[in-house]
Amino acid sequence: MIGSDSLNRRLLTWLLLPMAVVGALVLWQAWLDAHRTADRAFDRLLEASTLAIAEQTQWQENRLWLDLPPAALEMLATQHDERVFYSLVDAQGKVVTGNADLPGISRTTGTIDAPLTFRNIEWNGMPLRLGVRKARLENWSVREAYEVRVAHTREGRDALTWKLFRQSLAYLLALAALSIVALLVAIRLALAPLTRLRRHIRARDPRTLTPLELSLPRELAELRDTLNELLARMRRVKANQERFIGDASHQLRTPMAGLSARAELALRQNNPEAWREALLAMQDTSQKASRLAVQLLSLTRLGNPEYQPELVPTDLTNVAREAVKEHWPSCQRQGVDLGLEAPDIPVKVDAQDWQLAEVLANLIDNACRYGAHQVTVGVDANPPALWVKDDGPGIPAEQRLLMLRPFHRGSVLAEGFNRKTAEGSCPKTAEGSCPKTAEGSSLPSVEGSGLGLAIVDGIARSLGAQLVLEDASDAQPPGLSVELHFSPSTGSGRTS
Amino acid sequence: MRLRSLSAVVTLIASLAWPFTASAFDQLHLPAEREPVAPLVIHAALDLPYVRPLLEDFHRRNPQYDITYRNFATLELDERFLAAPDEADLMISSAMPWQYRLANDGYAQAVDTPVTRRWPAEAKWRQELFAFSFEPVIMVINRAVIERYGPVDSHADLLDLLRRHGDELRGKVVTYDPVASGAGYTYAIEESRLSPQYWDLIAALGHADAALVNTTGAMMEGLKDGRYLIGYNLLGSYVRQDIDAHPDLEWRIPDDYALVIQRLAFVPRQAPHPINAKHFLDYLLSVNGQGILAKEGHLGALHPELDGPGTANALYRLRPEGLRPTPLGPGLLTTLDDLKRRALLSRWQREFSGPQTLFP
Repeated sequence: MIGSDSLNRRLLTWLLLPMAVVGALVLWQAWLDAHRTADRAFDRLLEASTLAIAEQTQWQENRLWLDLPPAALEMLATQHDERVFYSLVDAQGKVVTGNADLPGISRTTGTIDAPLTFRNIEWNGMPLRLGVRKARLENWSVREAYEVRVAHTREGRDALTWKLFRQSLAYLLALAALSIVALLVAIRLALAPLTRLRRHIRARDPRTLTPLELSLPRELAELRDTLNELLARMRRVKANQERFIGDASHQLRTPMAGLSARAELALRQNNPEAWREALLAMQDTSQKASRLAVQLLSLTRLGNPEYQPELVPTDLTNVAREAVKEHWPSCQRQGVDLGLEAPDIPVKVDAQDWQLAEVLANLIDNACRYGAHQVTVGVDANPPALWVKDDGPGIPAEQRLLMLRPFHRGSVLAEGFNRKTAEGSCPKTAEGSCPKTAEGSSLPSVEGSGLGLAIVDGIARSLGAQLVLEDASDAQPPGLSVELHFSPSTGSGRTS
Repeated sequence: MRLRSLSAVVTLIASLAWPFTASAFDQLHLPAEREPVAPLVIHAALDLPYVRPLLEDFHRRNPQYDITYRNFATLELDERFLAAPDEADLMISSAMPWQYRLANDGYAQAVDTPVTRRWPAEAKWRQELFAFSFEPVIMVINRAVIERYGPVDSHADLLDLLRRHGDELRGKVVTYDPVASGAGYTYAIEESRLSPQYWDLIAALGHADAALVNTTGAMMEGLKDGRYLIGYNLLGSYVRQDIDAHPDLEWRIPDDYALVIQRLAFVPRQAPHPINAKHFLDYLLSVNGQGILAKEGHLGALHPELDGPGTANALYRLRPEGLRPTPLGPGLLTTLDDLKRRALLSRWQREFSGPQTLFP
């Protein structure tokens, strides 16, 4: 539909189209009327002419006789100089006199009471209007029937028709012009609230997200309310983002401050051993800070709706195996037992392998950090699923949803962890030192960014996988089971 | 009648000694003097002496035209046209009803040029039929009559004169025979429409035993040699020269009313060279062509911009009322109606023959 890009044009089109159709019908009717009126007016001339001739028709010298009055022919020609034809025909159909052998009009209903008939005829290539009068001599002895036929060309009729039609046309055009003006004004008035809304929105401070406050017609009030809902959502999103940024800068500031303090402390000493120790600690801290930065980056990237990676069939078994292989040494160092439970067959899902690797890295890392001794990475074939189970403290059911938010660290977890460290129940390690307590000395009691599960959740969303957090077992502590349920690969890959 | 008209033509041919005299018509041929040749065939009822200056002037201005002009008697012209409507490029005739009938029946084509558009509406019909001359029907009186009986300036004067001195003028009055002459019949039907007193005049003419002839030329012959003293209803354009040459004759445009004959021209629908015909018609209706008509003084020029001797404007100044040009309209068709003709002629003869034939 043309003009669908403009409400104005759309309204105009749909209002004008029926108007045009109606106008065309009215014009057609006006043309027919004009034609009929002109014919009626000019048929009077034919009537008068035939009458004038009939009045002069007599019985003389034993035959029909006509003393043709010139006026009878002259009245048939107007200023348009019509061609004029006439004939007097006797009862046998023989032409008595005339300048043309005009055809008669056969009638079924013709009587002396309605002696006149008119017809449009084509005669010698000329369109003529023919008038036929049937009459009878009113003589005492002879009652001979006869016909007077007169015809003329249509110039005068056509001119009158056009004149009448032009008047109708002018009238209709004026009406149409008025209607269109009224229509334009009406549409403008009807659409004025829309303009008002637009101006209102445009005039707003671009940073403000307060609700729109203006009175509008019902249809637009709905739009305004919808907009206000959207604004409310945006306010929430903005608050989240601000909190995220605040948290992120806080998280990054803490290791930086630690680094700075450590360096300062080391510089006061002259012992190279102390320097070395400080450098080692600083290296460790900076590694953690850079890991935090990487996590923040990937979370930001996942939160970007424009970022839609191409998904390809990926083998879960392979990803799990690679992850275990990669993380086994570090877990081993921390005294965590990392295991794999995967079928021998490939399990294909639509994903990107680096995203799955990121998921596993975060989950394994989380499990290690939060005091698990045994971590199992597993793959289910049918339905395809990737999971990580540990025997750590777990997350209470009511906290699980909160855990998916960035920087949210469950207090229970932290407490549980603190309790554990306080008790000195350090995981058994080869070095015999508890890495968390060692690292935690200059960091908040719970280290880790609080981003791990948020990243996992983001990746699960972008892969269209279902994330399930459960207790790993009925034992105490219950442990945590994190499962990603995939839909089977379509084989062709897809975008999330 | 046929014999007489033939002999008239022969007389004309003999007197003017035209080179092309094979048939019963005069022919004038003006060969082209420049390439490309533009042929033009004109069929007319207009005698060569009157048309010759016009044709020569046109030819001088447009030497590429190869003009063939054929002059017929009016009825002959009509018959020839109906027999061969694709022969002539232009038809000219003073027989207005016949010309009108041909145009009314669709034999003419419209000529729409700036010149024809400007032509006065009452002198044209549908841009097809154009009147280009203005020729009053007049009376010619011998001065002896005026000296003896006083001036004869109107139909009323003539009627009065005939009523009072009809016996003295017996055989000395001449007019058209409406039975034998088309022109005479046309004048009769026009006059009978104009005035009911016309029939009184016919009765008076009958009483005076007026001579009935077929042509203006024949009337003029008798008037010149003194056989007739009064000529009634002569075509003015044909007598002008003779009047100038005979001081004892005087011509009168009647005061009360005077018929005016207009020559009509049209381009036939099947004309072989319509463009050339339209060009000539443009010339005929232009100031140049009309100026020739005025200068020659036979056929009155109709062009509204022309004034002075030999123009319609001058005649109208002379007779502000009373000039009755035959209207170009369907009324002309009545003239050609058979029954009308018979009715009129029988009445005419009845009136002319006097009361004794009413009750034989």
